[in-house]
Amino acid sequence: MTIFRRRLQETGKEMSYEASKMALEEAGLELKDVDSVVLGSAPDAFDGIHLKGENLLDGAGGAGKPYLRVFVGGGTAVFSPIAGWWHVASGLADVCLVVAEEKMSSCFPHPQSAFGHIWDPILDRPLKPNLVWIFAMEMNRYMTVHGIKKEDIARVAVKNKRNALDHPCAQLAADLTIEDVLNSEVLAWPVQMLDISPPSDGASAMILASEEVAKKLTDDLVYLSGAGWCIDSTMWTDRDLYFPEYVARAAKMAYKMAKIENPPKEIDVAEPYDPFDYKELHHMEGLLLCDKGEAPILTREGVTERDGDLPVCPSGGLLGVGNPIAATMGIKACEIYWQLAGKAGKRQVPNDPQVGICQAWGDLMQYGSVLIMRRG
Amino acid sequence: MSFTHWHGDMEAQYIYTAGIAGERFFRELKDNGKLVGTRCPKCDITYVPPRMYCEKCFAELDEWKDVPLEGEVVAHTEVHVDIEDNKLAEPFVIGFVRIDGTQGGLVHYIKAPEVRNGMKVKAVLKDDRVGSILDIEHFAP
Repeated sequence: MTIFRRRLQETGKEMSYEASKMALEEAGLELKDVDSVVLGSAPDAFDGIHLKGENLLDGAGGAGKPYLRVFVGGGTAVFSPIAGWWHVASGLADVCLVVAEEKMSSCFPHPQSAFGHIWDPILDRPLKPNLVWIFAMEMNRYMTVHGIKKEDIARVAVKNKRNALDHPCAQLAADLTIEDVLNSEVLAWPVQMLDISPPSDGASAMILASEEVAKKLTDDLVYLSGAGWCIDSTMWTDRDLYFPEYVARAAKMAYKMAKIENPPKEIDVAEPYDPFDYKELHHMEGLLLCDKGEAPILTREGVTERDGDLPVCPSGGLLGVGNPIAATMGIKACEIYWQLAGKAGKRQVPNDPQVGICQAWGDLMQYGSVLIMRRG
Repeated sequence: MSFTHWHGDMEAQYIYTAGIAGERFFRELKDNGKLVGTRCPKCDITYVPPRMYCEKCFAELDEWKDVPLEGEVVAHTEVHVDIEDNKLAEPFVIGFVRIDGTQGGLVHYIKAPEVRNGMKVKAVLKDDRVGSILDIEHFAP
């Protein structure tokens, strides 16, 4: 994975190339060994190039190969490797290169202006909505239903930004206090500046291989053991925002495939999607890693620290490493691989993890993608 | 910027329509100052804004229902900055209002001395209506 920063000069193709090359080198493969390529990238409006998948494909190693671009909003970060898994699990490819790219800096003065066009044009756009409002309402609802204090949510931002100090690609690593978060600028109450991950540019890549090929490449096998995804209606106004039922459905699909019956007991490390601090808590609950409303308590008790019983976002997450939407695959799916393979370096969780889960989330508070991995 | 670059945009313009169900919703709002929804009898769901189909069972919906202008604040936020991160002179509140007797509701401005979830509010309509969501000025207690 590349560093996450504002990287205006490099093209998306160049960042895709950089990440793909790193993944091939780590796997000991060359481009000629790749049978198919999956590329994940978010709305074309960020880069300002329609048919962005076609534009990026040569940098992603897709020229002259079976190639597929996938996009499910913020959920792309974990959906991309799921799409890669289809290629290998179906037997169509022995080696699939999965690349995730995002370049948000081309869109100015702020990539939020691209988000201005995702709303229902008749019902919502006349109100001139922006994304932060919507998430502020979801956070407000979650806090109201469970009586959660803002400081118990701010703890997540403190933890993840501190974990990111150990990530070489991090954009917003910092050693902060809860007070720093609570005193940061109010954007749309209860959302404050330090509750949010920053827009960013970057790319990440991973190699999926059939068991036969993988055994020739490494002794430290990590298997994809469960995959799930689910999307609810874009009419988010018809459901209660306090619990992401669609994430729970995606998780159940993945747990069933992975034969996991007791997620809190069987999962050793988790990377839920954390574009906002409350989302990590919301998603821990959606992933059935704890009861509804229990995630802030576990966080307060230190359970989710890197050396806790259930390390959550040991990468530093989107809050600390950055949020180049699809490319956050590097801190979700890639991180779980590195943790299980024992390759996470200073970020390595000390509990000798055997099973890990990652999840991404997106669209209008409606999409969840979940991937479970297991050490061979 | 020191490196080679161009400024550009992706020129395109669009016409957005309210659709079959939306047309009736906005006509009722404009002409009669009323909110209406569609009901799925099988699933017992009243959709506001109305939809021409039930997303659960996929039935085509033709049962129209007048619904009240009143509802309950389910979630809200107080906005302090604009989309380019400039501080607003006056913060404003936007929220989601579940319309009474329905499973749906509207996102809109809420004006009250203090807004809380669970609060009862009513749509305040403009006198001069054009058939837009902004025919509702805001919701207020």
